Amino acid sequence: MSHGGGFEPRRYVIGQFAGPEAMLDATRKMRERGHKKLDTHTPYPVHGIEEALGLGRAKIPTIVLCGAITGACLAYALIYFMNVVDFPINVANRPIHSAPANIPIMFELSVLLGGTSSFFGLMALMRLPEPYHPVFEAESFWRASIDGFFLSIEVPKGQSPEAVAAELKSLSEVSVEIVEESER
Amino acid sequence: MASTATSASTTRDPLEPIPLIQGVQTDESLNTSLLDHVWRSPGKGWWTLFGLALAGLGLLVIGVTVTLWKGIGMWGNNIPVGWAFGIINFVWWIGIGHAGTLISAILLLLQQKWRTSINRFAEAMTLFAVICALLFPLIHTGRPWFAAYWLMPYPSVQGIWPQFKSPLVWDVFAVSTYFTISLLFWFLGLIPDLASLRDSSKKPLQKTIYGMLALGWRGSGRHWAEYKWAYLLLAGLSTPLVLSVHTIVSFDFAVSILPGWHTTVFPPYFVAGAVFSGFAMVVTWMVPARQFLGLKHVVTMKHLENMNKVILATGLMVSYGYAMEHFIAWYSGSQYEFDEFFQVRMRGPMAPVYWLMMFCNVVVPNIFWFKKARTNLLIMWVAALLVNVGMWCERFNIIATSLHRDFLPSKWELYAPTWVDWSIYIGTIGLFSTLFLLFLKFVPAVAVTEVKELRHELAHQAHGHAEEAHG
Amino acid sequence: MSSHDQDPLQDHPEDHARSTPSGNGASSGSPRRISLPIVDEALAATEAASGAVREQRKYWRSIAEKEGSPKLAAAAQREFPPGASELPEVSRRSFMKLFGGGAAAAGLAACHPSDEQAIPFVRRPEEVTPGNALHFATAYGVEGYGLGLVVESHEGRPTKIEGNPDHHDSLGATGRYEQALLQGLYDNDRAKQLKHKDEPLSWHTFLSQMATLSGRHAADGGAKLRFLTEPTASPLQLELRKRILEKFPKAKFTSYSSIAGDGAADGLRLAYGKYVEARHELTRASVIVSLDADFLGEGPESVRAMRQFAGGRLPGAPMNRLYVVEPALTVTGMSADHRLRLRAGDVAGFALALAAELGRRPGFAQLAGIASGGHGVTAGDPKWISAVASDLIKHRGQSLLIAGRRQSAAVHAVVAALNAALDNVGTTVTYATPLLADPLSGPKALAPLAEEIAAGQVDTLVITAYNPAYTAPADLKFDKLLARVPNAIYWAAYEDETAAVSSYVVPAAHALESWGDARATDGTISLVQPLIAPLWGGHTDIEILGAFLGEGDLSAYEVLRRSWAAKQASVPGATGEFDQVWEKWVGDGVIVGTETSPEAALTLDAAAIQQGLGALLAAGPKGAGVEIAFVPDYKVVDGRFANSAWLQELPDPVHKITWDNAALISPAMAKSLGVEVERDNDKFSVLVIEYKDRRVHAPALIAPGHADDSITLALGYGRTGAESVASGVGFNAGVLRGSDAPWFDRGAQVSLATGMHLFGLTQNHWSMENREPAIATSLADFQNPRSEARELLEERRAALPTIHEPHDYSKEQYKWGMAIDLGKCTGCSACIVACQSENNIPTVGRDQVVRGREMQWLRVDRYYSGELEDPEVIVQPLACVHCETAPCEYVCPVNATVHSDEGLNEMVYNRCVGTRYCSNNCPYKVRRFNFLDFTSETPAVRRLGMNPEVTVRSRGVMEKCTYCVQRIERKRIDTRVAGRLIEDGELKTACQQSCPAGAIEFGNLNDLKSRVTKAQADERRYDLLHELGTRPRTAYLARVRNLNPELAKG
Repeated sequence: MSHGGGFEPRRYVIGQFAGPEAMLDATRKMRERGHKKLDTHTPYPVHGIEEALGLGRAKIPTIVLCGAITGACLAYALIYFMNVVDFPINVANRPIHSAPANIPIMFELSVLLGGTSSFFGLMALMRLPEPYHPVFEAESFWRASIDGFFLSIEVPKGQSPEAVAAELKSLSEVSVEIVEESER
Repeated sequence: MASTATSASTTRDPLEPIPLIQGVQTDESLNTSLLDHVWRSPGKGWWTLFGLALAGLGLLVIGVTVTLWKGIGMWGNNIPVGWAFGIINFVWWIGIGHAGTLISAILLLLQQKWRTSINRFAEAMTLFAVICALLFPLIHTGRPWFAAYWLMPYPSVQGIWPQFKSPLVWDVFAVSTYFTISLLFWFLGLIPDLASLRDSSKKPLQKTIYGMLALGWRGSGRHWAEYKWAYLLLAGLSTPLVLSVHTIVSFDFAVSILPGWHTTVFPPYFVAGAVFSGFAMVVTWMVPARQFLGLKHVVTMKHLENMNKVILATGLMVSYGYAMEHFIAWYSGSQYEFDEFFQVRMRGPMAPVYWLMMFCNVVVPNIFWFKKARTNLLIMWVAALLVNVGMWCERFNIIATSLHRDFLPSKWELYAPTWVDWSIYIGTIGLFSTLFLLFLKFVPAVAVTEVKELRHELAHQAHGHAEEAHG
Repeated sequence: MSSHDQDPLQDHPEDHARSTPSGNGASSGSPRRISLPIVDEALAATEAASGAVREQRKYWRSIAEKEGSPKLAAAAQREFPPGASELPEVSRRSFMKLFGGGAAAAGLAACHPSDEQAIPFVRRPEEVTPGNALHFATAYGVEGYGLGLVVESHEGRPTKIEGNPDHHDSLGATGRYEQALLQGLYDNDRAKQLKHKDEPLSWHTFLSQMATLSGRHAADGGAKLRFLTEPTASPLQLELRKRILEKFPKAKFTSYSSIAGDGAADGLRLAYGKYVEARHELTRASVIVSLDADFLGEGPESVRAMRQFAGGRLPGAPMNRLYVVEPALTVTGMSADHRLRLRAGDVAGFALALAAELGRRPGFAQLAGIASGGHGVTAGDPKWISAVASDLIKHRGQSLLIAGRRQSAAVHAVVAALNAALDNVGTTVTYATPLLADPLSGPKALAPLAEEIAAGQVDTLVITAYNPAYTAPADLKFDKLLARVPNAIYWAAYEDETAAVSSYVVPAAHALESWGDARATDGTISLVQPLIAPLWGGHTDIEILGAFLGEGDLSAYEVLRRSWAAKQASVPGATGEFDQVWEKWVGDGVIVGTETSPEAALTLDAAAIQQGLGALLAAGPKGAGVEIAFVPDYKVVDGRFANSAWLQELPDPVHKITWDNAALISPAMAKSLGVEVERDNDKFSVLVIEYKDRRVHAPALIAPGHADDSITLALGYGRTGAESVASGVGFNAGVLRGSDAPWFDRGAQVSLATGMHLFGLTQNHWSMENREPAIATSLADFQNPRSEARELLEERRAALPTIHEPHDYSKEQYKWGMAIDLGKCTGCSACIVACQSENNIPTVGRDQVVRGREMQWLRVDRYYSGELEDPEVIVQPLACVHCETAPCEYVCPVNATVHSDEGLNEMVYNRCVGTRYCSNNCPYKVRRFNFLDFTSETPAVRRLGMNPEVTVRSRGVMEKCTYCVQRIERKRIDTRVAGRLIEDGELKTACQQSCPAGAIEFGNLNDLKSRVTKAQADERRYDLLHELGTRPRTAYLARVRNLNPELAKG
């Protein structure tokens, strides 16, 4: 984080809502007002959040598909090379190259690579693990994983967080907090 | 969650009116009640069980040490019975593991809401069962120190590769994949709960540990968006995986030429058997667990009854499998097959195991035709236990009994397990219990996040705020 | 070698290497010998003694030394490569290397010093190249005759025993015992220290004491000097006897072997007026009737007999027909076309009944007279007897009756009469002057000596017979008597029961360590040469007898050579310089032209028989009650092989018992006694057998086909000597044995004892479960092309449909295959021991056999069919059949078992991880698994006998028959050097080479003229478990029974 003297802390306006509905509503409105860096924080996925935040199609499925296909091809190539190209040997008079015998491992490897790519792909997309994030500075943010519904807005340089906070307050019943990234 | 919401919120929950969550609950009350057992120091019950589990674990250590030190000859195996307890227990454990994946993955895809309160539990069970299973293929070999890696496709100094026509190699891939995927699936589902553990923990140490494990999860909407997909896809992958794993395990036998092994019905009937034994194992553990951990309000009688229904259904499938085996043995006109099923198994020296299997797997499950039995804790627990016994006998029948009398009567031999066999078997049960009890102690046994979500949905349906979800 | 070490060789190879060459007192200055003054004194003396002989001439102790390479000579001085003795601990590999080196030097130093020249069978020792085996001819025999052997020797270590093709009795094959000789040689339990009343003694001191002794005895002409020897036909032994008797006219020699029968000698004496011995020529016999004679299973003629008998079992040529009358199934009984189960005591009745039956036929009046001498004693089913009689008459002049060793003089006399009446004398049976020193040498022969000892008339008793204290009939109490003999000098192979009660114990040199000579059953003489110097400085019986002629300091080699130098002239055609003649004799293993011709003019004295019979029958066993009958054991004989783990673990040819003997009883008798059978037909009640004042606890074993009210007991077990393997195995049936009726008698009381006994059976299951793995058919059925049997055979060799093309082996130079003829195989099991020896197969012990973990690669399955009381038996040798589509291969995850270009199903030991999947998927269950570490604790001395060309398998590894791939490769190398292909017949697997019946053919299936190809093309050929489509390379030839139409059931 710290870049010598030139450290410019990120600033966030964080609003806590009574329930998911209010939060969703506020999110939509704020986005319509042209706020960019919005994010919500909820104990469980709230329906319609993608739409509210204006997120595009999820990327995970594509990643997993690639992983799975790679797995299958890899398996076949592996077996073909090992038992046909590199070390062909008469085993019980069975054909050196017999496709049916390869299927089980092709399937397993495609699942293995598909599965692992979905997990690690996700981690990459979420940039997790990320033990520290400015929003954790918020007083009541610990509720985010229990029963709190939050909307966080990263305030761009040159804008005053207070203004954003006021704007948010004006939209709905909410307790707003302004936090600043701490330098460690 | 999206998949659930879009459809389910409009329709009424099929399992109503019997509530999936009892009493009036808020997110917070759920949070406290479901995490309570993590903060609370374990009670007498837990400690006694843990003590027993550790004792079992001790047996395992002894058994494995003796085996590695003296050799596989410390077991009862011989020629012709080259495989016995080792593989029996391997298949048994793998089978048990399957229920977990099935509950969490398949029920998820089928949008069965009632899964939420037991899936975490079931997944953990899968994980630990697979760990126990994995032990056997390794130590049952003559030279584990080589078997450990010679089955892997790596360029060895011997310039030779694994033999990919052997089901054992397929096994290696299947089981290791199964373990990896189950682990990831379980952990992924756990992350939000770890976060709530982090946030509701009182002691700094706990906070740091759970904090690390939570990977800095902050319930971000952008994360949820991808997360839901990832979780769903893992479930999607696990479902065929679970089927493939036991199919491949059954190939170990079906691919051979041994009477009693050489059977095309094996894959489906192994999978059915796996689910059968798996659900039985869930019930066996869930009945006491919900008692001790105070989970009655989330793991309701409804859940148990549903599981008993599954046991009944799969039990019938297994019975069909048996019927098929015997029919083909007769219909094929192969004398070896016929003798195997109608002489060796029914009347041979190991007939008692056969008949015990028949009783436990074919007769016992039928008790669940009756609602009284499905909803009586004691009955279901005993029945579940018997099913576990029965499924173990099934593996014994398939493996040891088939082997001990095959083609040439001149090399028919008896098989009898030794104390090492038993201590390793009991030992794995100890290992399983140990891991399970630790899991119950340190991790929410119920997927808190999902329960909250479920509560949310149910609440909304109750108040007819359907459009909310459409948004 | 320090005799105080339990196993001095265990972890200190260098010690052993020193001890090996011990022509000269062995381990002088071994760094770690426990220094006990006594031992040192003894050894010093020993060295002095042999040194005395040595001074006269210069020895060379290795080829190098002989050829005068100073460096190597120096090394040879140490008799061990530099650095060896410095090694603190030695890895197995380097250990074996060192061993090889030491042993090589050792062996050579021992066997071939310039003046004690052993002559290799095919090559001269000058050509010794490490790694190449040499072959030496020698001879060995259990019952006084010598069986010609060819011993393979690696770097001076005998490693494999084969038969000598030029030898009359061997014809290139061997029996079980010969195959196991190596175990007796490399045996740590052997007597190692010469002792007098437990005081260690040097050979030198011993000789001087013997000198004084013989001096004393010479005074009264040896009135109190007695010799107790094995029955022997050895010319040298006979010569020594003669000379000793000349020196001590009043001394007496007694031949004794507890398994020798006296009936034959007396019976033939009665028939022909003098002692003669019968010789049988089975090739000429079309009908053979055995009266309790196990002529295929035991006895000096058995190896030859099997070959000859098997020759007559081919349906193509005229087949012979075998009738067997016996109480318990024997190897011979299993090979019978018709078998009549009779108590041993009733065989006499049968003989008389048969004589009477024949007497009623025209032209056999004489027999009627003889039969009448039996005073109506009769036994056996008349229908059966008349059928046999007719068959005999039909084959007059080409039939043969043989009476067993156990049977009384009466039976032998009647049988002689029958053979004479049927004109068999001169064709199938001939009579010759006995070759054995004493015609009588059975248990009865011991009684007079026992009386003399009891009467205190024996001062000095020299015992070269095997362990009389244990084997002597119980009523003689011979062990007690021996203790009373002031000077009992026992030539001891082991510190056994007799050694315990003898005042002198002289460690015996093993047959493979000794010089000597022996006679074949036709009189042909073989010279016995050592393969290695006495490992523990043992001495030959010749040297001991020599001591009484004042020649004790002469080595056996000297004595033998002198004797033959003198006799050279007597040998036809042995002209020229003696050295060359000698070289030829020793090299060939036989002295051609020394056979003795049968007596020409013999006339049967029918009257004498007729009168004699009554008395004989009266004297013989009679009365009612249960019969107890004793048999020499198929594995340990009379106990002399009891310390051989190979033989102990060898499944009994008939009942598949290992590490045990049993009270064999018929199923009916078991029922009436209430014998319980538990577990998988391998746990039986224990019986208490009481006979006269003696009793023994014996576990019962139900033996299908056994005569009722009769118990068969095998001798040679229940040993109490200091033999680690032998002691505590089985029970000693000998305690029931009386000198009056040493073989069988009635009047035993049998009752159930408490408790059960678990046998280590390698086959518990009797029936074939209608799967017919071993096919037997009658000649009639076989000759009818549309018979079920023929259809079955056709079906089991027909080509099966297959998904993918079978691999084409026709382009290869070799396509190895095997054919096993069930018609020839008698189940004698010599092949199993041969395989064990050739392939370094470990023994696993009783407990492991009980668990079903025996390791023998080759097994001989035995199936009963028909009714249990009187079943038909068939045996089937079974090892890996090398399937072309081997089920074991495609399930192996690590490519540890794969196919060779020539179609061998190969086991790659160092790749195997031991999943045992291959064994599970092997329908023949011929794979064997090292469940525990069976090899690393093999005593170093045993390892000397291992085949250096075969890997020793480690724990956790699968193994199985390899078709003796090491032999294939060896021959491949030899023929490549010679630039040609391996010819048919020059390559034999171990089992094939040892097989007396010649039932096994092995060779190249691509060679259309090879024997195996022809055999596999035979009408009787079928594949085992053919329907599985495994395409086995080993094919079987169905057994054809030559049934007598009159008796053929159904």
